[in-house]
Amino acid sequence: MVKLNVLNLEKSEYKGGKSSLCPGCGHDQISNVIIQAAWENGIKPEGIAKMSGIGCSSKTPAYFLAKSHGFNTVHGRMPSVTTGANMINKDLAFIAVSGDGDTASIGIGQFIHAIRRNLDMVYIIENNGVYGLTKGQYSATVEKGSKKKKGTANEQAPIDLCAMAVNLGCTFVARSFSGSKKQLTALLRAAMSHRGMAIIDVISPCVTFANNDESYRSYNYVKSNDEVLHIVDYIPHFSPLSEVEVPEGEFSDISLFDGSTLRLETVSEDHDPGDAVAALRAIHEATQEGRHVTGLLYYNPNQPTATDTLGLTDTPLVGLSDEEMRPSAESLKEVNAGFRASDSS
Amino acid sequence: MDKIYNDFTINVATANGTGSQSSNLIILHSMFEMGVPVSGKNLFPSNISGLPTWFIIRASDKGYQAPGDETNIQIIMNKDTWEKDLKALEPGTIVIFNEDAKMPVERDDCICLGMPMTTMARGISPKMARLMANMYYVGGIAHLLGIDEGAISSAVEQQFRGKENAITMNLQAISEARSYASENWGDVSKFAVVARDKSSDTFLIEGNEAVALGCIYGGINMLSWYPITPSSSLAESIINWIPKLREAGDGGSTCAVVQAEDELAAAGMVLGAGWAGGRGMTCTSGPGISLMSEFIGLFYFAEVPGVIWDINRTGPSTGLPTRTQQGDLSMCYEASHGDTQHIVLIPGTVDECFEFGWRAFDYAERFQTLVFGFGDLDLGMNRWSTSGFDYPSEKMDRGKVIRTQEQMDAIPDFGRYRDVDGDGVAYRTLPGSGLAPILYRGTGHDEDGIYSEDPDVYYQAMQRLKRKIDGSRDVLPAPVIREEEEGDVGIIFYGSMENSIVEIDDMLEERGMSVSTCRVRALPYHSEVEGFIERHNRVVVMEINRDGQLYGILRKELPRHLISKLYSVAYSDGLPPKAREYANRVAEVLGD
Ligand SMILES: Cc1ncc(C[n+]2csc(CCOP(=O)(O)OP(=O)(O)O)c2C)c(N)n1
Ligand code: SF4
Ligand SMILES: [Mg+2]
Repeated sequence: MVKLNVLNLEKSEYKGGKSSLCPGCGHDQISNVIIQAAWENGIKPEGIAKMSGIGCSSKTPAYFLAKSHGFNTVHGRMPSVTTGANMINKDLAFIAVSGDGDTASIGIGQFIHAIRRNLDMVYIIENNGVYGLTKGQYSATVEKGSKKKKGTANEQAPIDLCAMAVNLGCTFVARSFSGSKKQLTALLRAAMSHRGMAIIDVISPCVTFANNDESYRSYNYVKSNDEVLHIVDYIPHFSPLSEVEVPEGEFSDISLFDGSTLRLETVSEDHDPGDAVAALRAIHEATQEGRHVTGLLYYNPNQPTATDTLGLTDTPLVGLSDEEMRPSAESLKEVNAGFRASDSS
Repeated sequence: MDKIYNDFTINVATANGTGSQSSNLIILHSMFEMGVPVSGKNLFPSNISGLPTWFIIRASDKGYQAPGDETNIQIIMNKDTWEKDLKALEPGTIVIFNEDAKMPVERDDCICLGMPMTTMARGISPKMARLMANMYYVGGIAHLLGIDEGAISSAVEQQFRGKENAITMNLQAISEARSYASENWGDVSKFAVVARDKSSDTFLIEGNEAVALGCIYGGINMLSWYPITPSSSLAESIINWIPKLREAGDGGSTCAVVQAEDELAAAGMVLGAGWAGGRGMTCTSGPGISLMSEFIGLFYFAEVPGVIWDINRTGPSTGLPTRTQQGDLSMCYEASHGDTQHIVLIPGTVDECFEFGWRAFDYAERFQTLVFGFGDLDLGMNRWSTSGFDYPSEKMDRGKVIRTQEQMDAIPDFGRYRDVDGDGVAYRTLPGSGLAPILYRGTGHDEDGIYSEDPDVYYQAMQRLKRKIDGSRDVLPAPVIREEEEGDVGIIFYGSMENSIVEIDDMLEERGMSVSTCRVRALPYHSEVEGFIERHNRVVVMEINRDGQLYGILRKELPRHLISKLYSVAYSDGLPPKAREYANRVAEVLGD
């Protein structure tokens, strides 16, 4: 029997076109997780808008959610296009994909300002430490000492996008690995349930240019240097918490905007995602040891989003009638009269 | 003394940040109040305080609005430019100066009239003496020209609306100055104003505010902007009008405003807004357009509606940020890499600023493309006369948007980029609708929006885009043509040059030339422009830039036999166009 989600839709309803990426590319694994998460969460495909910039990663919206509109924009500028679309239709669920070149170099300004506005979107960075599409140059997120397949090791200090997001007050910051399907699915489902900017920085190996063992972002390296903050479990709002099995060890629950829950089971040390300083410490300590810390780093719910602060009417602006958009003829008479009065008082 | 009525130019030399703008506007408005045809131009520096500023007021019963050839009355308040300002004057000029500046006035051939302005101002308010001193030249001018007291009071009241204290103090200053001038200067001015019938309908307004109101009535849903002179006042004016005119039933606004991180982001937001089905707009000046270029190509290729207003300043680079030019025309028309072409609307009056303000959105949605509004500092930031704006004569044109399954079913063989109707404009659906979703892209795509590198698919797509924009020619505003019978010389011009054309025309007529004029109001140009050239022997394309940008565009697009008729007069020094400068150059290129 085919499995259906809460909307009675098969998973195939969330699939996309055939991928043209290199076989084994981390980005394809992430696309599969996006399909899985959107299906499991029961989001209406037509209510989603897929956004991306330019890069191998940014091509992937063609490979998932074929029933959703999308925009593969220009290099590094996806956040501004998303901002404009969000202003006009705040009901759309924006799921965006970017690369580390797209976000950390050419698009760093728009990334920062989208966070600052708390744009209501899921922002996934498919982070491989290289520019895949232009054939493997280092990106600005690559670790000092990391070495890609060809050329010398990187000497420059990396930009850590999660640390940056935490510092900017981003309301949902997580890191994961394309090879950790369970963790990534839970985090992505939680991000979809969040209202505001949800950033997931996903380590996603580039099998063609940087999957050698000396690369800090190769499968082998990440698998043996993954420092998991907690075991994450997503419990959707439509399946009552009381029916979910209670874990044996310590855990804490986080409630999300749509009523769903993210359960964090303690691994060794407890991490409080409400504590920005703890998040930064976890990131920096891991970096110093050449490790990748994964999990929900920071969460700050109920913050006003980009559209909340503008005093907009309740109807999404795309739904306004012509009459609501064009003031009356009478009003223009008053405007003219006002100018005349001030010019001949 | 024989008087010359309503035909003179006043030049006020001050430093900015000294409050002189209020004084200048009071002179301007009081004359306007009397029905004197008058125009004012502010030549200001790119700083906040302390650099020289000139304000030029021209009265002309003939309706001339360009700065005149010479200054008839010079007011000097600024020590820094004192000597240079004095030296430039023709013999016989009236000079009004602040005696307290303690600067030499060695022009025995001029009529030099001093007043201890700062000392007198101290009598009213010691603290504000520096600012108030400027009100004294208003009184001096009012005396010399015979400006009505009633007109002065209403101009002062308008300027300081609601600030009773300021109104009283400034009126007192003006009245003190008037008495001083009448006692000490006497009747020395051959220039004077005389009241004319003023239509009670007319008022003065800046082009930028007129565009802003046009946008408000055009249904703008999203304004994104990044401050830059001379376009900031356009955005600020929209922001100012939204609460008054764009409130929905629930009290919320129907237009979002985002102050972007840069112009690049501002353009991206307009793109996102248009894609999502809204009416997005941003305004900027040349440097902003340069930054937006990559997105402009995406608008064109992915066929997304949007509006950008370019209020030109003097380029290249940062250029002269507070001076005017028509230097961005070819850039706007063909902005971004590859073969592109954009609709450009070019208002020449504040009425057209309003009209093109709302029409821009209709054209953008009808042709699913980016539309530029093309203004400049002169039209945008100076005040021009209108008898009131006309309500949009047409309903909003939301273009070919499929909103329901029934509409979709009625279209045979739908594809996002398939030319079903044969006019080059395909149908689109909106995100959120669930109807025929595609992944929009700036990469090559076929008629269904699917990625393609196929040579024939690319070639056909580019041909259709060309046909689509070409199809807008005769839909866009037609040129305004004033035609003489002779059919010898025609002048093609555009935009704010409208304010100088009557005077240029008269000057050429004095030389025995009879010229027809054709004001282009949009690109791609209307077929009537071609007809105009066809009917004249020699056609001069006159514009405010160095390289003859419209001339270049015409040469590229006109049929071969018309190209040889064209002459170019292109001149720009940063200042608003002086009629004499252009008239001389026209005569020169024609060898007449
Ligand atoms: C303005 C501009 N500059 C340069 C490029 C070329 N370019 C395309 S993708 C890319 C880098 C992509 O790297 P990343 O975002 O990390 O994506 P990946 O391919 O690694 O997934 C560059 C530089 C471009 N498309 N546009
Ligand atoms: S080049 Fe690298 S990033 Fe691009 S598709 Fe291939 S493996 Fe993936
Ligand atoms: Mg990359």
